[in-house]
Amino acid sequence: MNKSNTYIFIYSTVLVVVVAALLALAATVLKPFQQKNLETAKKLEILHAVDKGWDAGSADNKNLYVDAQYNQYITRAFVFDPAGDTLPGRLAFEIDVSLEMKKDSTDRVYPVFLCTRDDGALNYIFPVQGKGLWGPIWGYVALGEDLNTITGAFFDHQGETPGLGAEINTRWFQKQFVNKKLFDEAGSFISVKVLKNNEPKLPDHSVDAISGGTITSKGVESTIAVSMKNYLPFIKKNKQ
Amino acid sequence: MSQLFSSRNLKLLTNPLNLENPITVQVLGICSALAVTVKMKPAFVMALSVIVVTAFSNLIISALRKSIPARIRIIVQLVVVAALVIMVDQLLKAFVYDVSKQLSVFVGLIITNCILMGRLEAFAMANKPWDSFVDGIGNGMGYGAILIVVSFLRELLGSGTVWDYPVMEKLGAFSAGYVNNGAMIMPPMAMILIGVIIWIQRSRNKNLIESK
Amino acid sequence: MENHINLFVDTVFVHNMIFAYFLGMCSFLAVSKTVKTAVGLGAAVVFVMVITIPVNYLLEKYLLKEGSLTWLSPGLADVDLSFLSFIIFIAVIAAIVQLVEMVVERFSPSLYNALGIFLPLIAVNCAVLGGALFMQQREFANVWETVTFSFGSGIGWAIAIISLAAIREKIRYSNVPAPLRGLGITFILVGLMAFAFMGFMGFKL
Repeated sequence: MNKSNTYIFIYSTVLVVVVAALLALAATVLKPFQQKNLETAKKLEILHAVDKGWDAGSADNKNLYVDAQYNQYITRAFVFDPAGDTLPGRLAFEIDVSLEMKKDSTDRVYPVFLCTRDDGALNYIFPVQGKGLWGPIWGYVALGEDLNTITGAFFDHQGETPGLGAEINTRWFQKQFVNKKLFDEAGSFISVKVLKNNEPKLPDHSVDAISGGTITSKGVESTIAVSMKNYLPFIKKNKQ
Repeated sequence: MSQLFSSRNLKLLTNPLNLENPITVQVLGICSALAVTVKMKPAFVMALSVIVVTAFSNLIISALRKSIPARIRIIVQLVVVAALVIMVDQLLKAFVYDVSKQLSVFVGLIITNCILMGRLEAFAMANKPWDSFVDGIGNGMGYGAILIVVSFLRELLGSGTVWDYPVMEKLGAFSAGYVNNGAMIMPPMAMILIGVIIWIQRSRNKNLIESK
Repeated sequence: MENHINLFVDTVFVHNMIFAYFLGMCSFLAVSKTVKTAVGLGAAVVFVMVITIPVNYLLEKYLLKEGSLTWLSPGLADVDLSFLSFIIFIAVIAAIVQLVEMVVERFSPSLYNALGIFLPLIAVNCAVLGGALFMQQREFANVWETVTFSFGSGIGWAIAIISLAAIREKIRYSNVPAPLRGLGITFILVGLMAFAFMGFMGFKL
């Protein structure tokens, strides 16, 4: 089939236009659904930090269920700057923490979500970001009213080794963090270490690493330490 | 109407399941077969996506085959395949978000899945649209069959579950001292499993054995 | 500089395109019968990757990403063309491969004949598109990091195919059971090599 150059040109142009139009149409029509999925996923992560939402998979309408749970438990949210002062007029949910972490530390803003647990206690949920072995790891750490005791945590990853590092997104790993503290008796920031079997344990400040997933586990440790360090000014200003 | 489901078309559907299997015989589409077979659910969605894309790209290219200028043949094929894959990817992100996250880059890699280009060149460019559509489904299913077998073994032996249902736990195997085979979760095991599948297939079909 | 060396070593050994991600399998299995053709194809893949991935990086950064068109006009900050990524990436790859094909045919006809159909097939080599997609996910800070990543990915792929070819040449003299001969034993070989490469996990300079 030897077609003339004009034919080839017209053919290519028509093909490109048709394909681009169809794809643009599909992308536009589907975007609201995709956005909603992303929103639900984020809300679910925040809820997981306070041990809620684990049954969302069996709900009839996952999006509605997660929305309802989120609205029930997350009562307030605000944004604060590196100095620890709240910034009114900004929506915490819309802050993309991974984008903020790419900016200079003085240009960042951070979100915090306030949650009322079933027993009436007030929790502060902070986002955490870091690196694992194969890619980024992130999550949320919930602190009690004393802004010291951890009341819950959630971690997730992009491509850690299944069965090993990937286990950081399981409840058993995350439950370890409950009742651990960030500050010691004297008020110094220790954070929480993730220790292997042969390392001496610190009663209030350590949890067990995943066997065979040391690098990812240490990644969780530095993720918490580095992220929470950014929030120290805010914590100091709001501690009772 | 009887032509639509002629014996020839039936062969197009069944041959790729065994004697002309894309993965074990034609050696196409290996890349994604390994990475997404850790669990059955993503493997199944992947297989479904490949069947859909192969069938429809075969259909479209076959319908256009007489009008495509020879010089830009490959590019046109790539554009059609890429457009279909983008559609599938957008649909997955909209309606089965969790699975699309598990499949991540591998949905995009369907574009370079050798099975697609292979069938387009070997079949769709020289056959009628409906036959090409059926051929696409057949090869997609052959690919899917291997994916399901490998993912079943890897999930059962590596995580103790089948389609996320905790079979080993329910059978009480863990309390009896059974431990999940960690190696099964690793990608290299998928290669070895396919090697074994090829071994079994060729033991039963002597004419597939390579000559010295 | 240390950052680049770490990234290079990591991409060649720890996150090897073949042994960690299993990308580029088809031509990997088909062209690994002799070391000579393996070296030729490996070199071609390195070349294609080093050109296409950074080009795609620039396209991603200045054209496709959400909000990337702000350099044209601030009003375009909401435009998100990322759904066109696959098509743009593969078009760039196909065009560059076509160019490479013409260059190889002109400057080394013997290599061109030795590689045969597998030279144009680099365009659909999952490793090349996969490299572009990983680049998109990893969001490198600048184009030089991307070049290091592409070079490392290509070299990693080349090392894999050359080693496999070396082993396959030797294994022709072993007593492999007939049903396993050729393809079957190759799969098992690659699996074992991949397990061996896992020993590099966590390696840092």
